[in-house]
Amino acid sequence: MALKIGRKVLPWIFLAPMLIMIVFSWIAPVLLTVYLGFTDLSSKNFLDFVRNFFTEKVHFTLENFEKIFLAKDPYIVEALTITAIYVLSVLSINSIFALVLSIAIAYFIRNEILSMILRVSWLIPRIMPGIIYALVWNWFIDPKYGMLNTLLKIVGIPEAWLPESWLLTPPYSQLLMIMVNGYVGASFGMIIYTAAIKSIPTDIINAALVDGASDFQVARHIIIPLLKWPMLFVVSWQTLSLLSSYEYILMIWGSGGGGGYAGIAKAAKVMVWSLYSYSKAFAAEEHLYGYASALSLILVIIGVVLIVLYFKLFGFRRLMEPSRIEV
Amino acid sequence: MVKVTLDNVSKFFGKVKAVIDLNLKIGDGEFIALLGPSGCGKTTTLLMVAGIYKPTKGRILFDDRDVTRLPPRDRNVGMVFQSYALYPHMTVYDNIAFPLRLKKVPKNEIDRKVRQVAKLLRIEELLNRKPSQLSGGQQQRVALGRALVKEPDVLLLDEPLSNLDAKLRVIMRAELKRLQKELKVTTIYVTHDQVEAMSMADKIAVMNAGRLQQYAEPSELYNKPANLFVAGFIGSPPMNFVEGSIKEVNGEYYFDSEHFKLKLPSEIGEIVLSKTSEVIMGFRPENAKIIKEEQPNTIQGKVYVVEPLGKDVIVNVKIGEILVKILARPGIEIVPGQNIWLQLNMDKIHFFEKGTGKAIV
Amino acid sequence: MGVKDKIFSVGGTTLILNILKYVIVIIVAIIPLIPIWTMILWLAVQSFSGKVILGIIPSDFTFKNWRFLWSPMKMGLKEYPNIWPITLNTLFLALGVTGLVVFVSTLGGYALSRMEFKGRVGLMQFIIALHAFPSIILLIALFVILNHLGLYGKGIMTLVGIILIKAGLEIPMATWIIKGFFDAIPWDLEWAALVDGCTRWKAWRTVILPLVLPGIGAISIFSFLSGWSEFLLVFTYVKDEAYYTLPVLIYYMIGEYKFIDWGMLAALGLFYAIPTIIFFSTSQKLLLRIYVGGIKR
Repeated sequence: MALKIGRKVLPWIFLAPMLIMIVFSWIAPVLLTVYLGFTDLSSKNFLDFVRNFFTEKVHFTLENFEKIFLAKDPYIVEALTITAIYVLSVLSINSIFALVLSIAIAYFIRNEILSMILRVSWLIPRIMPGIIYALVWNWFIDPKYGMLNTLLKIVGIPEAWLPESWLLTPPYSQLLMIMVNGYVGASFGMIIYTAAIKSIPTDIINAALVDGASDFQVARHIIIPLLKWPMLFVVSWQTLSLLSSYEYILMIWGSGGGGGYAGIAKAAKVMVWSLYSYSKAFAAEEHLYGYASALSLILVIIGVVLIVLYFKLFGFRRLMEPSRIEV
Repeated sequence: MVKVTLDNVSKFFGKVKAVIDLNLKIGDGEFIALLGPSGCGKTTTLLMVAGIYKPTKGRILFDDRDVTRLPPRDRNVGMVFQSYALYPHMTVYDNIAFPLRLKKVPKNEIDRKVRQVAKLLRIEELLNRKPSQLSGGQQQRVALGRALVKEPDVLLLDEPLSNLDAKLRVIMRAELKRLQKELKVTTIYVTHDQVEAMSMADKIAVMNAGRLQQYAEPSELYNKPANLFVAGFIGSPPMNFVEGSIKEVNGEYYFDSEHFKLKLPSEIGEIVLSKTSEVIMGFRPENAKIIKEEQPNTIQGKVYVVEPLGKDVIVNVKIGEILVKILARPGIEIVPGQNIWLQLNMDKIHFFEKGTGKAIV
Repeated sequence: MGVKDKIFSVGGTTLILNILKYVIVIIVAIIPLIPIWTMILWLAVQSFSGKVILGIIPSDFTFKNWRFLWSPMKMGLKEYPNIWPITLNTLFLALGVTGLVVFVSTLGGYALSRMEFKGRVGLMQFIIALHAFPSIILLIALFVILNHLGLYGKGIMTLVGIILIKAGLEIPMATWIIKGFFDAIPWDLEWAALVDGCTRWKAWRTVILPLVLPGIGAISIFSFLSGWSEFLLVFTYVKDEAYYTLPVLIYYMIGEYKFIDWGMLAALGLFYAIPTIIFFSTSQKLLLRIYVGGIKR
């Protein structure tokens, strides 16, 4: 009898630590974000809140959402625009450019060693610790010591077109923002697409070659149609990922600007929605936790909706094996 | 409809020598088979003719044109892969139409040709299906259609029947042969099944470990094998081999093995001994008769196992330590353990050099 | 095919297409890599050079850039914390995350893989859903939670709080990976051990454990590197300089030394990157397998 109960309980003993951690790091914060979005929590009433969760110093309010939806916050529209530019641009890099890149690396190039070197090289931005990535980029764009302007001049871009500060001058700063995240994002698509391409049976490629296809025709008629689902996966996944990513922007603009990321990012017009939310909570003189939570909540809701959509669209299996092609 | 010539073709993959010094001349409209065990280089050879592999050494010629450096798309060959390699995302119609689309053939012309081929192979009703909805036999015909629709100069088939069940295989064998005769397209057929090769091909190129062993018509391969490998590979049940030496005693020639001595006709004995004395003798199961009583110049043996096959009976006979298979008529009354004598048909004996395996007679 | 086509296809189009193919490869795959290669080369070169010509050509070999190893960095009147305690903090964070993640996810992964319980499929789907969910938008709420638990602003305890959070964020993926390793062990192996006379525990120790060791190794390395690289949590929650980790220190250093001493910054960066470089050169295959197979970020 004890054994029987034991057998039923045992799995849960094994799962308990994991479940506790998930509640702690995921579920509780999400629920809290929902709650806080409707409060006016800020540095003024924070201490009271910590002492007593239900303190009356913290009020229920819809003001946060008024600021967002009725644009009472003057920056909202700009945040939205910048985020849209950011997501759409990097998304096209991640999905379309990455596709061309993968076909080039995994199909056009037949030499295994060369292919591997290129794949690893493209993975470097993703694998590097973020702050190092920020460091080398800060050096790269430096007008005096860095290489970016030099390389562009070599390619023939006139000096007049190059900015003094890539960091601070829009639209160059926005180009930089897209480039920096683009490199990291491209490797995501590359991973998925190259795996998919490698899983196409060689006989099918050979059959196409014998049927009379050039490498370009093979790419167009055989490879790309078979990569339909992986492409859809990359676009979907990256949309959510990009909407909420701000770490690289913070690291580069923050460190480059001497620590004050908020002011600089705003001036450079690279403050995306997620970064805006972060700065509203943690930048000096703000600490509007309630409002920041409301801003985050929008992303949380979008996140949950998209994830449910993914499950409906792709199903459990395809989500686990995004590189699988139907053969 | 071209002649295909392989001129000293070799293919090495790093250290691995897949094909070595292959010389082959295939006539216009001929149906030849590349026959051999797995890994003998036959598929590699086929892929070189297709243009997927480039020979490490040597040349490939279509008629008098050197195509060695040409990519597959410029060679006008059609190929059926062992796995059929149908494009999974296209319908049967699109699969067959693909080669024509690549050549930018006008649409109505494509339609006409596709339907013509579909009719020939009796797959018209399948045109709108996807490969995953077809049976193995149907997929194979679609693959064939795709290869034929461009009216290729050379048709290449890589073990096309090996994935079919036995019954279908026999039917398709006849179909393919008939089709080839009708279309008169030069065809190269790769297989490891010697029955298939023997029944379908005009000529067979037997390969082993990357080298050509013999290239001849089926009957010649059967009756006059050039070496030990060919002799043992062709024919089912396979030829029996006995090691021994040739001796001459007082003008009479004998084959002396460990367990018996056989008197040979002088012409044979003379020819063999002039080349070498250490030999391997071969005789086919159907060229030996089982006798119940001892007679001069027979080999004594003991019946080991009897395998009745319906129309024949295979008798396994032990001669000393050696086991040989003899084909006998059904109705023969023998039991395991019985002592019997074998009378060999002297016209159909083969001798091979011991070291090289080359045929002497 | 007309005669003209025959002649053209023999040499012409195919050659052009081949050249075009390689041009595309170069433009798409290689040229964009030039900045990346340049940046890495610079990091290596600048850290040992007094001056650097054209960004990547070294000159003036020196160890001066590495002075932070033996003396604290000064900027005017401000003195930055010594590198070694900071390194220790970073190590503490990385190892803490690793230990917690390995322990929790091995248990969870085993249960998901080998045990029967209600809601198993649902839980698996939930874990995959967590992969997709962007965790960095939860920082505000986590801040509040840390405060409630009394882990904010309390020196080393803040780092402990961060370890808990970070581990919690890594656990879904680590569990999934370990589960994969457990899945790959055939049931027969365990049964054979039991038939041969092992107890359940001994079977686990002698048969199963050795086979998941690569998986455990993989997630250990992965967790360590992710803890080592963690920036945002420390940056947001740790206000006491003494408890900074290396990424945060470097962040502030970049701001300070950007126009003055790229050499020291490069050396600092290289110093920090040492574990990453070591792990990647020794366990490439294993890690690439995770990055390619497991990570969906």
